[in-house]
Amino acid sequence: MIKLENVTKRYASNDALNNLSLTIKSGELFVLVGPSGSGKTTLLKMINRLNEPTIGNVTIDSADVKSFDIRHLRQNIGYVLQAGALFPNMTVAQNAAIQLETLGWDRQKRDQRVAELLDRVGLRATLFMNRMPSELSGGEAQRVGIVRALAAEPNIVLMDEPFSALDPISKRQLQDLVIQLHRELATTFVFVTHDMSEAIKLADRLAVIHNGTLQQVGVPNEILAKPANAFVATFFDENDTQNIFLNQVVKAGFGQPSTEVGQVLKGTDTIFDWAAQLKTTPDLVIKVEQTTLRPVDLINYLASLEQEAK
Amino acid sequence: MNSLSSYINRNSSDIIAALGQHIELSIIAILITVVLAVPLAVVLIDHRKIGEFFLQVTSVIQTIPSLAILGILIPFVGIGTVPAIIALVLYAIMPVFQNTYAGLTNIDPLLIEAADAFGVSKRFKLFRVQFPLALPMIISGIRIAVVMVIGTATLAALIGGGGLGTYILLGIQTNNNDALIVGAVLSAILALIASALIKVLARASFKRLVIGIGILIVLFGGFAGIKTMLTPKTQTITIAGKMGGEPEVLINMYKDLIQQANPNIHVKLKRNFGGTSFLFKALQNQNIDIYPEFTGTVLQSLVKGHKNVAANATTAYKDAAQALKQQYNLTYLAPMKYQNGYGITVTKAIADKYHLRTFADLAKYPELKAAFDPDFFQQADGYPGLQKAYGLHFNSVRTMEPSLRYEALAKGKVDVTDAYTTDPQIKKYHLILLQDNKSFFPPYQGAPLMRTHFAKKNPTIVKSLNRLAGKITTSEMQEMNYRVTVKHEKAAVVAKDYLNDHHLLDKKGK
Repeated sequence: MIKLENVTKRYASNDALNNLSLTIKSGELFVLVGPSGSGKTTLLKMINRLNEPTIGNVTIDSADVKSFDIRHLRQNIGYVLQAGALFPNMTVAQNAAIQLETLGWDRQKRDQRVAELLDRVGLRATLFMNRMPSELSGGEAQRVGIVRALAAEPNIVLMDEPFSALDPISKRQLQDLVIQLHRELATTFVFVTHDMSEAIKLADRLAVIHNGTLQQVGVPNEILAKPANAFVATFFDENDTQNIFLNQVVKAGFGQPSTEVGQVLKGTDTIFDWAAQLKTTPDLVIKVEQTTLRPVDLINYLASLEQEAK
Repeated sequence: MNSLSSYINRNSSDIIAALGQHIELSIIAILITVVLAVPLAVVLIDHRKIGEFFLQVTSVIQTIPSLAILGILIPFVGIGTVPAIIALVLYAIMPVFQNTYAGLTNIDPLLIEAADAFGVSKRFKLFRVQFPLALPMIISGIRIAVVMVIGTATLAALIGGGGLGTYILLGIQTNNNDALIVGAVLSAILALIASALIKVLARASFKRLVIGIGILIVLFGGFAGIKTMLTPKTQTITIAGKMGGEPEVLINMYKDLIQQANPNIHVKLKRNFGGTSFLFKALQNQNIDIYPEFTGTVLQSLVKGHKNVAANATTAYKDAAQALKQQYNLTYLAPMKYQNGYGITVTKAIADKYHLRTFADLAKYPELKAAFDPDFFQQADGYPGLQKAYGLHFNSVRTMEPSLRYEALAKGKVDVTDAYTTDPQIKKYHLILLQDNKSFFPPYQGAPLMRTHFAKKNPTIVKSLNRLAGKITTSEMQEMNYRVTVKHEKAAVVAKDYLNDHHLLDKKGK
C-alpha cells in the first residue's frame, strides 16, 4: 500500500502539488490522469524519491520512503519512462538487466531472467538480446523498457506516460500487454497518462489531477457516470473519449433491451474490445447491462459517429 | 626540390630526433591535459556554476598568445621542455575540458533519470552511462587539442624545448627554405596522422580505450625510468648556442675541446637555442652552463652602464668581463680573434674601380647606390652614425631585407651594403669588406660565457676553452659559415676540421 499524505510541492514560482492525499492499494493498477502540467508526474516521482515533497509524507506499507536507503528503495521499484529511455550504448540485454546488475546477479542468471521476460512481452529473446536500441521500433523499445522495469521482480512498478509517443496500434497492443502482465504478476502498477481513454481502459482505479489538486478518485465506471465536477466532465469531452465506451453506444440508442444470453462486456469496455471479440467470432452477440448488441450495431454506431463528425 | 631532398638526406638523423622530440612533447602534454581536464569536468557535473566559471577561465587562457605564456613561465620554471609542456597543457585544456563538460552535461536528462531510478551506483552511472554517452564529444575535444598541441609545440623551439619548431626557426633566421619546409610540413603531416589515428581509436570500445591510455602512461613512465637508469652518473654539462650556423660551429668546438681533455664529461649541445636575452637568462637559471657571447652584445644589451662601447677590442672585452663579473657574477673567458660586427661591403669590381679600401674612401663617391638593412638604416649606431663619423652621404639609399642585399650587390643592382663581417655570403660572392678606419662600429668578439661558480669548479674546462683564445680569423669564420650554411656541411665536421687543422686537439697542445 502506497500512501501520499497531504503532500505539497512548492517551486519558486508556483505550487506543483497542493495538499494532496491519495492511497494506492497493493496489487492495484492505479492510474494518475490529468492534463500536462497538472502535477501527476511529480506525484509519481515522489514514490521512488526522484522528487521529494516540500510538505507531507509518502509511505510504502506504512514505512516512510525517507527511512529507506535511497538506492535500496529504487532497486526495488520498477520504472518505465517515456519512449523507453533505453541507454543507446548498451544492448537490449544489458539495458534490461541494469537493475539486476546493480543488485549483484551473475551474468548467467541475468541473461536467463531477461530472456524469459523478453519472450513474455512478445520479443523473441534469441533475436533481440544482442540488438542495440537504435535497431528497435518504438513499440519494441518500450517492451524492453517494461522488461527492464519488471526484471528484478519489484513490488511496485511506476510508469510515466510510457506510451504517449507510440502509434495507435502499438499503443493499444502495449496497453493490452500491461493489463495482461498486471493480471499475471499481482504487482502494484502506478501509471501516469494524460490520455483519458488510456486511463479508463487500464485503471482498476484512477485519480484525476488538475492544477496540483485531486479532482476525483474512483473506478472508471463511477467517474464516467458521475464526474465530480465540471473539470472532470469537460476533460472527458475534450478528450473525445466517451464515444469509445460501450455504455455510450447504449446511450446513443443502439441495441435492444433484452434478457437474451450473450457475451457479457462492461459499459466501460470499449468498442475496440468489442471489435476484437468479433474478429474471432464474427456473429457474436454481446450484452452490456440490460442491452443486447449485435455486430450490425457496431457498424451503425461507427457510421453515426462519422456523420456527427461531418 | 633537389636541395630539399639533399637537405633531408644530410640531416635525416637530426630530423628524426626532432620529430621524436616533437611527438614526445605532444604526447606528454596531451596525457597531462586529459588527466587534468577530464576528472575536473566529472567533478563539476553537478556544480554547474563552478563549471561555467572554469569554462570561462580556460577560454581566457586560450586568448593569451602562446609566446606570452612562454615568456611568463620562464622566470618560474626556466626553459626547456618543462615550460613548453606547461604552455601546451594550458592551451590544450580548453578543448578537452569544454568538450568533456559539454558531453557530460548535455546527456538526455531522461537517460540520467532512468539511471537514477534504477538505483545504480555513482560509479556505474559515470562509467556505464555518462562516459560512454559523452565519449564522442570527449574524443573530438582531444582531437582538437592534439592538432593544436602539435601545431603550438613548434614554438617550444623558442625556449629550448626542441622539436620540429627548431627547423622552422632555423629556416626563418637563416633564410633556409629547406629547413622551414621540413619543419612546417612534418608538423602538419604529424597533426593529420594524429587526428586520423584518434578518429580510428574513437571506434574502439571505452574499456579498450582506457586500457590503451593506461598502457601508454606505463610505457612512458617505464621508458623515462630506464632512460635515467641507463644514463651513466658522469658529470653532464650543457652548452647552448644562438640561432644559426656560426654558434653551432663554436659550441661543437667547445665540446671537442672539453672532451679531449676530459673524456668522462658528458657534453650536451643545444643548438639554435634562442635569442640573446633568452640564453642569458637560461645561463643564470643554470639551465645551461656555457654559451658563446659577443663583447659588443654584452656591453650594449646585457650589462648596465656601457652604452658607449669602447672602440678598442681589448678594452671592450675587459669592460664586458668586469661588468659581467660585478653585475651577474659571471665569468667571461678570453675572446677569439675574429669579429662578427657590422661592416660595409662592396663587390671586388667596385672596389677596384673606385680604389676603395676604407670607409673614408667611400665618402668620396656619393653617386654609389646603397642598400641597407632597415634597422641599420635607422639606428644611431648604423647609417646615421656613419654619416656623422665619416661624412658619408649617398644620393640613393634603399632599405632592403638582409637576406636579399648580398644578391642585389652581386648582381650589380646596388653598389654598397651593410654586412655582418662573418657572413658566408661575403665569401660566396667574393665581396670586399671595407675597413672601419675610425673604429666607428663597436667590436664584436666572441668568447665563452659561464657562471663564475661553474668556472671555479671546473678549471680543466676553462683551460680547454681558453685554447681558442685569440684563434679563428674573420675570414676563417666566414669560410666555416660558408661550409655550414651555404654548402650545408655538418657543423660538427666543420668544427673538428678546424681544430685538427690548427692542432688544437693534440695532446698537451704542442
